[in-house]
Amino acid sequence: MGIVIAVISGKGGVGKTTATANLGLGIALNGERVALVDFDIGQRNLDMILGLENRVVYDMVQVMDGEANLKQALIKSKVSDTLSFLAASQTKDKTVLDSQRVKKLLEELKEEFDYVILDAPAGIESGYEHTIEFADAAIIVVNPEVSSIRDADRAIGILDSKSQKVKEGQEVVKYLIINRIVASMVQSGEMLNSEDILEILNIKLLGKIPEDKGVIDASNQGKPIILNEKSVAGQAYQRIAKRICGQTVRMEDIESENRGLMTKIKGMFQ
Amino acid sequence: MFPWTKKKKSASVAKDRLMIAIMSDRHHETYPFMDDLKAEIIEVVKKYIGVKAIDIKKEMEGDFEALSIDIQLESNQ
Repeated sequence: MGIVIAVISGKGGVGKTTATANLGLGIALNGERVALVDFDIGQRNLDMILGLENRVVYDMVQVMDGEANLKQALIKSKVSDTLSFLAASQTKDKTVLDSQRVKKLLEELKEEFDYVILDAPAGIESGYEHTIEFADAAIIVVNPEVSSIRDADRAIGILDSKSQKVKEGQEVVKYLIINRIVASMVQSGEMLNSEDILEILNIKLLGKIPEDKGVIDASNQGKPIILNEKSVAGQAYQRIAKRICGQTVRMEDIESENRGLMTKIKGMFQ
Repeated sequence: MFPWTKKKKSASVAKDRLMIAIMSDRHHETYPFMDDLKAEIIEVVKKYIGVKAIDIKKEMEGDFEALSIDIQLESNQ
């Protein structure tokens, strides 16, 4: 029986879908069976980041409506044979989700996969609530920036009140990913550091991801950055994926600029 | 440099502002069961005394969370 992880954020544009794609692929590359499900109905994007947009035939709403079965709708990744993807509906809107149908879909997925990872819609309306309702764990993605952090706190508040696990008296596991950290700005005091963010949100850290221009290049090509072993963001996603799989991986200090002379020299030519 | 010309770093300004904004957001947060809770409390209290209105607030003080319940009684009792 697999576990369900919802990847959430308060506001949009913080890199939630990118994080979902990279973590899903990273976990799958560790040999686990992973299903990535795009819950951002009406704003399908995960297919593009994964480079699978041309292979979408059926979406998750059609599966819930019984128009297609899971096997028909799940798309196998080209880069990892243990990764499957279920697309969001592009034509319907978020109101098509309801608790019972979401629950049934997730139960079915949990039978076949070790990890079921949901890309939640941004914001805190009904689509978001249905994504987190039956999740065993949530990964919150923030940027080191005030609006993202404030909105994340509200999303966490809703998670704590609407989660089925919490209603049953259990705990929903919550972890934070801080995305798009610029070391030089943290050092000069122009960007919140990870300690401050963890203190403000009162949450445990899963990982820190440095700002990396390669992320846009990766999404242009539909090849998640985790596949690029040289990229700093890709390496950060690899470490996080390993942590999720239960390995102990040291928290890299990506907030200091002194990352060795070679890195610095390389940085000058980027 | 003179100490009074030293500007406060914007990251620490951000932290202070966020702490206050988030505290205030959390203060105004309610639980999804608030309306049901209100209705049930009114039913219970009504058995003993007339109730005019009830107000339940979620309050935060430091690490403590509390529900403050204000029950306004009907006059002339």
